[in-house]
Order: sequence, then C-alpha cells, then structure tokens
Amino acid sequence: MSDSDKLKITNPSLLRRKINYAVIIIFLSFTLLVVRLAYLQLYKGNELGLRSETNSIRLRKITSPRGLIMDNSGRIIAENIPSFHAYYVPNRTRSYQQIKDDFVRIYRERSLEIPREILKTSLAPPFVTQRLDSLLSRHKLAVIETNSHLLPGVFIDVVPVRRYPYGETIAHVIGYVGEISREELTSDISGHYSSGDFLGKFGLEKELEDFLRGQSGAEQAEVNAVGREVRVLEKLEPIVGYNVVLTIDMSLQQAVSGAMNGKAGAVVVMDPRNGDILAMVSSPSFDPNLFSQGISTQDWRKLASDPLHPLKNRAISGQYPPASTYKVILAAAALEEGLLTPDTVYNCNGEYEIGNRKFRCWRSDGHGRVNMHRAIVESCDVYFYNLGKLIGVDMMAQYAQYFGLGQKTGIGLPQERKGLIPTKNWKKDRFKAPWHLGETISISIGQGYNLTTPLQLANLYAALANDGKLYRPRIVKKILHTDGRAYREYQPELLSQIPISAKTIRVINQALWGVVNEQGGTAAAARRHEKDLSGKTGTAQVVGIPRTGETLKYHASGRRLKDHAIFVGFAPADRPEILVSVLIEHAGAGGGAVAAPIAKKIVDAYFSMNQKNKQPSRELTAKAGNR
Amino acid sequence: MSIDRRIIASFDWPLLLLVLTICALGLINLYSAGHSLKLVTQEPYYIKQLKWIAIGIFFMVISFSLDYRTITRHAYLIYVVSIIMLLLVLVFGKTAQGAQRWLSFAGFSFQPSELVKLVLILVLARYFEDRRIDDKLHLSDLAVPFLLMGLPFALILKQPDLGTALILGAIFFLIVFFVGVKWRSLLLGSGALILLTPLSWYLLRDYQKERLLTFLNPERDPLGAGYHTIQSIIAIGSGKLTGKGFLAGSQTQLKFLPEQQTDFVFSVLAEEWGFAGAMLVIILLFVLVTMGLKIASGARDASGAIIAFGVTVFIALGVFVNIGMVLGILPVVGVPLPFLSYGGSSILVLMVGVGLLLNVSGRRFLLYG
Repeated sequence: MSDSDKLKITNPSLLRRKINYAVIIIFLSFTLLVVRLAYLQLYKGNELGLRSETNSIRLRKITSPRGLIMDNSGRIIAENIPSFHAYYVPNRTRSYQQIKDDFVRIYRERSLEIPREILKTSLAPPFVTQRLDSLLSRHKLAVIETNSHLLPGVFIDVVPVRRYPYGETIAHVIGYVGEISREELTSDISGHYSSGDFLGKFGLEKELEDFLRGQSGAEQAEVNAVGREVRVLEKLEPIVGYNVVLTIDMSLQQAVSGAMNGKAGAVVVMDPRNGDILAMVSSPSFDPNLFSQGISTQDWRKLASDPLHPLKNRAISGQYPPASTYKVILAAAALEEGLLTPDTVYNCNGEYEIGNRKFRCWRSDGHGRVNMHRAIVESCDVYFYNLGKLIGVDMMAQYAQYFGLGQKTGIGLPQERKGLIPTKNWKKDRFKAPWHLGETISISIGQGYNLTTPLQLANLYAALANDGKLYRPRIVKKILHTDGRAYREYQPELLSQIPISAKTIRVINQALWGVVNEQGGTAAAARRHEKDLSGKTGTAQVVGIPRTGETLKYHASGRRLKDHAIFVGFAPADRPEILVSVLIEHAGAGGGAVAAPIAKKIVDAYFSMNQKNKQPSRELTAKAGNR
Repeated sequence: MSIDRRIIASFDWPLLLLVLTICALGLINLYSAGHSLKLVTQEPYYIKQLKWIAIGIFFMVISFSLDYRTITRHAYLIYVVSIIMLLLVLVFGKTAQGAQRWLSFAGFSFQPSELVKLVLILVLARYFEDRRIDDKLHLSDLAVPFLLMGLPFALILKQPDLGTALILGAIFFLIVFFVGVKWRSLLLGSGALILLTPLSWYLLRDYQKERLLTFLNPERDPLGAGYHTIQSIIAIGSGKLTGKGFLAGSQTQLKFLPEQQTDFVFSVLAEEWGFAGAMLVIILLFVLVTMGLKIASGARDASGAIIAFGVTVFIALGVFVNIGMVLGILPVVGVPLPFLSYGGSSILVLMVGVGLLLNVSGRRFLLYG
C-alpha cells in the first residue's frame, strides 16, 4: 500500500454528512446560549437592570487582627487597637467633587485639620472608592457621624492597627509592620494579601508573619442608592492570627534598657541552661509604633539617615572584634590539644616580638610571669600571643567553630549575621594571599579579621557555663490558638556537646570567676556580694594599637576611633542561671570600666526580681510590670 | 522552506480576516474590562493582550508554513515534550489560587495545559491517519488513543484544572466520533466511564467540589463562586437590548463583576453592548466554527480532516463552556473565551490552531508527491 493510498479519504460523502451533523449540533448548542442570553437580557432585562442600579451588593474586606505577642509571663508586647477611616463610596446622588466640598466645609466649620490627601486629589475616577481621611480622632469621628445625612456615600471603616506598648524598649526583637509594597504584592501568588494590607517587615513580626497574619474576612452587604448599608447578607468573619509567647522577660528587658542608659551597643541576656533569650536590647532604638499606620517620609528619612543606625539590631547584625573575650577559645584549644598545662608560665614584659614587628600588651609595663589562670584574670595579651603561635590559625578556627562562632546561631530573627573566623584557606580565597604569622598574633587576642555578634558571644559563654552544651538560642516559646491552646511549642534545642573535657572547662571557669572576683581581675567593677558573677572583659580596638611606642591619644580624637567595650559573664558562678553579653560601641574605655558595671546592674536586677517573684503570684508581678 | 504558489493562491483570507476581527473586538472589550482596575504598576490588559496576539501571529505563520503532514509526522515527539512540560508544572510550577498551572521561564509564564489540547489533536491525527474516515472502530482500537488522552488528562486534573481536563476529554470523544466508532464499543466505553466517574470525586480538590456543589445550588456560596455567577447574571441581564455603552457598565466598572478580564469577559461585553453586541460576537464565532468545519470536510486527507475538525471543536467547546458558564447554565470551571479572554497561553495556542486551519485549507488542492 503506497503512502498516497493510505491517506486518502475513501468516502467523501460520509465525511460531508458527519460535518453537517457537527454543524447542526454546534448550531443547536449555540442557540441554547442565545436563548438563555435573550431570556436574561430581553425578558429579565428590566428586573436585572434595576438590581444593578438601585440596591447593589457590595463586598467589603474585613482585615484580620494580627496575633498578640507576649513575654514569658503573659505581658503583652504587641497588640491591636482599632483605627477609623472615612471613605467615599461612589453613588448616584452626589458626585465625589460635591462630597469632597461638603466634607471639607464641615471640617472647616469646626476648624478640624483637613487631610492633605483630600486636597491633593482634585479629580477622582468614577466608580472608585476613595479614602477621604484616615486615622480619625474621636472628635472627627463624632463630627462625621452627626453630619452623615449631609454626606451620602461616606462611610467609616474600622481597621485594626498594631500597637507596641513597650515601644523602643524591645523594638529590634519584635520588629514592625508596614504596608505591603508593590513588589511584595506582585510576588504574592498565594493570594494572601491585597493592596493596602499590612505585614511584618522586620524582627519577629516578619519572621512569624505566617502565624501572626490570620485570615481576612469579607462582608457582603446590600447598599442603597446613597451607598449606605441596608443589611448584611453574608459575613465571613476574619480569623485572628495565632498568639506568640516569647522567652523574653519584659521587666528584665526594661532593666537592661535602663542599664544601658542610651549608650550605643547591644545586650543579650540568656538562660545558659537552655539557650532561652531573656532580654535582647539594641541601642539606639526606634519607636515601632511609627510604622503601624504607615511611616511618614519625614520620620523614615530621619531613621534611615541617622549615622547611629537605630534600625539595626546590633545584637545579631552587629559584627565586632571579640577582643579579649576570644581568649577562652585559645585556652580551650591549647589545653585540649595538650600544647601546655594550666601551670605553664610565660613572661610578659609588655611586648612581644615576632620578626621585626612588636606586638604590645595592653599593660605597657608588662604582667611579669603569668600562668593561664593569671593570664585570663588579668587578660595578659603577651601570654595569648604565645598561645596563638603554638595553636596556629586553623586550629584556633576549629575551636571557635565548636563554640558556634563564624556561623549563624539560627535564633530565628531576620538579618542575623554570621561573623567571621578566619582560616588560611579563607584568606587565600578572599585576598589571594598567604597567611602571615603576624595575623595569627592579632587574632589571638580577638582582633584582626575576627568578627562576632553579641549573640554569638553569649552563646559561646553559655556553653562554658553549661558544661560544654551548646544550645540554639530560643526566643519563641509557644504559638497559641486564640483560646490559649498550644498550637506549636518549641523546645530548647541542644546543638552539640562541645568536645572539650570537663577539666578544661573547670580551669577556664575558675579563671573567669577570678576576672571578676580576684585581686587584679579586669572586671572588678562587676563584683557582687553573693551569687558571684564570672566573666571576661574585652576592649575591641577600632584601630590597631600603634606598633611604635607612641601614646594612644589619637584614639580619643573622635567617636569612630574609640574602642568598643565588651563584657560577657554569668551568675551565680557555681550554678549559672543567667548570662549577660554586653557590648558598648566606641565606649572610649575598656570592657572592665564600661561594660562590666552594666552587666552587674542587669544581674542585680535579675536576682532582685527573682526574689520578688518567689513571694507573690506571677500575675501580680505582671501587673506591676505593666504599670 | 519554499511555499508552493498554489498555497498562496488558495490562501483562506476570509478566515484570517474573521479571526483578526474577533481579536480586535476582544481588545476593545478588554480595554473596558481593565478600565477600573487601577494597577499603576501593571501594563493595561489590552496592551498585554495585543503583544500576545502579535507573538501569536508569529507562531501562526510558522504553523501555517510547515506542511501539516510534516507536523503530524513529529506528533509523538511533540506529545512527549508537552507531557514533560506538564510534569515540570507539577514539580516546579507556579501556584495561583490553589492550582499549579504555570511554568515560567525568562519572565514569561505559560500554561502547558493549554498547549496539550492542541497536541492531543495532532497526536490523534497521527494515530488515525492510516484509518479511513468511515472506519468503525472497535473498543480495542481505542485503547492507545485513550491512553494518549488519559495521561495528560490525569496530570491536568492533578494541577488541578477541572475545566481544561474535561475539555481535553471532550475533544477526544468528538474526534473518535468523527473517525467513526461502533455503537457497541461506544456504549461499552461510556458505560465504563460512567462507572468510573464517582471515583474522580476523590481526585478533585475541595474548591472544585465546592464549585460543583455551588453550581447545583448557587445560594450555597453567595460570597464565592455563587457570587461570581450572580454578579455575572446581573451584569448580562442589565445590558438589555443595546447595552449601557462603552466604559459605562456599572457592574464592570464598580468591580462587582469578578475576573472580568479573563473568565467573565463576555459579561462585560453583554453589559456594555447589550444583546446586540453579544449576538454579533456569538454569530462571528459561529461563522468561524462553520468555516473550520468546512475546511475539515474539504481536506485532502484524513489527518488534515482530523486536525481541522479537532481545532474547530476545541474553539467551539471553549465558546460554549465559557459563555454557558457566565450565563449560569454551566458550572464555573475556569475556561477562557477563545480570542476574547485575556491570557497569553490561550491566545498563543489559538493562533497556532488558526495557523493549522489555514494550513489544511491552503493545501487542500495539493496532490501527494
């Protein structure tokens, strides 16, 4: 059979008959459509025309209130308050222009402030709902309501807005909400949002958006010719978002904020037994309430251009040299690798020479002969220069990584930075240059390339305080249904047991106790009468100590060049239950002088609060804290 | 590739002109449908649609120029590619409104499920090309084509896109009818399918079940699908004989009418141009369909007849299901109105389909070489 035979149509008349059937069937089904069309347009036309003209059904969106955010004893950190907005709905009795004129006149007569947006829009497109005024005061609300007969088509809508009763105190952790941007709106293919919606933009508001958001409702109402609701036909109630319980203790948070007293920096307070964040303060701060109703350009410009970057959460996004707080890493590495014993002694005469370079100890006349205990207590740099040379850069990095440095802690807050722990390979990749011994000496005292966040330092010392158990910092404890049932509970998460012997940890911890409580310790300012603090000071140089013997006077020349003060410590020394990591930027003095006293204040506050907590019930304290 | 002079000589200008006229009416209507949608960032729908039509014409030229027998020779390959695209959709596809339908690359989003309708026609034309149009097919002859349809059918149902899946099934049955089938086979086949139907209930997603139930009883969901139908009926009915005028349809401009640039675009037309305008479009579409069927009856061979028939019923089904849906006599299943609804994939596939019609029409007098 040839190709042409196979493809031929053998019976053209049958084909034509089938096609005719198809034409008839399609004709009949199209006729069905036409009959229905005629029925609706010609027979029912008047009735349906009336329905479209007079009483119409209008769909109105009901914004769902976001879930609440509470601290560990139920104090409310983020809540919702109603706000009132006036809208004009297109209707057939009065045009937008007429309504606008009446609206402005009524405002003028009572000398109320006329919203700028209304003066800007001279011509509203027909049929589009127009906002007349937003965030009405009680007074304005009353004026509009009493004049409603003069303002057909004007209606008041109630929208929940976010309020943060603690304002600046915990702004960086909670974050803020903002109106959905065009980009976010176009990328939202799940259809959760529509224009004008608010969503979490920063902090936990952003991180927990899916839980806090809830689900918008809708209302279908019959409205009459002047745009007034006649009756509600159907209503889909909005679903309130989940409530969130944090590990934060607001009274401690306030105490921390008070102790910092406006200095730029960050403090993290943690329960070293499980990684719970009890307080996290970054300073300077901002008022998150500014964002709740859409921040004004003026306010935004002020915040964004502030040289102190108040929007940055320094506790997780600020990367600083760990300075002397890093020395415990070297101590652990040296002891574990058997490079020396706690009793090995080095002599410090105030400087350390390597090649033709001289590295200075912070104490220019030297510490004399020091063992490991004294070297940590007095924070002798020369001792650790020697250790650094013994350990080497890569081994040091390995131990730093054991303690979680150089990586994100995974606390679950946006914009966490991972810091930097240099290795030889890192330098080769980054600068295409080999590692120099001099750089090892710099990083031995936590300077040079080293960068850590205050949260990472808290985590590092929490592991020391907790027999080498490294926890993931936890800030969200529970997510609750509105009726209080738990929807999700987050347990403390043990990341690793750091491979360091109990003996090594004991040697280090004894030295950390000495830093605060022994003669010559660098953090004597943090000494307490009971429930002793242990810890380590650090003074992070913003510029290196000059190699030649000249004085440090140019450090003091400007804020930018002044040293950062650091203190990380925990208490009580024997059974730690609170850990504080303090960093004060450009303090102009050492960690012992500036950061340690702040840590002491915080620990004092913690124990005095705990004292009180034991007597009255929790609720009573909660109320007292709210006042 | 050189085109035979005879193809140019017998080019079907009236068909092309008719299609372009319908597209132009569609653009005017989209201008109105998008009028009140104040999305500053977005290009208006009619402009976007115009671009898609331009791209569509480019592909139409291609699908016209290649001999359709060359195209059917590669039908299985095209079929495999389109199945892979459907699988990719299920894995990587973009989700919108609970369904995963779009593949996007280089900033373009495309719905392979639209393309599959056309590919099914081609692959059936290929399969049946050595059949005669008066063949009486046995049930056993239908096994392979049934599987060819069943695979994409299941994948599309999984997205889930009920409307497209059903249209795919309908195209299949109509083509089988067209080729010819024994009455006994037909009864057995449909009997088996009817028994299988209850099973498909479990394949449907909640929102699809909801839509079916809402169709049976619109008051069930006056806020959702029922609301769409009610508003659409009000819009259409209030257009009366001559309509409310261009850009003056209150149902449309006040946004009572949902999805007005896609599924409910016909309601906009009927509200603003009335019975007269709606009838004009229905008549134009009917003329298009009869022209397509005439091409099928004049085709020089079986595969040409099947292609022309398939493309035509594909268009006719779209018209019937979409308009039936907005008139409230069929469930809201999300099938676009051919040439009038906004949608890139839909327009592209339709233009390729028109290209195939022109292809079969233009080559009807060619002898086999």
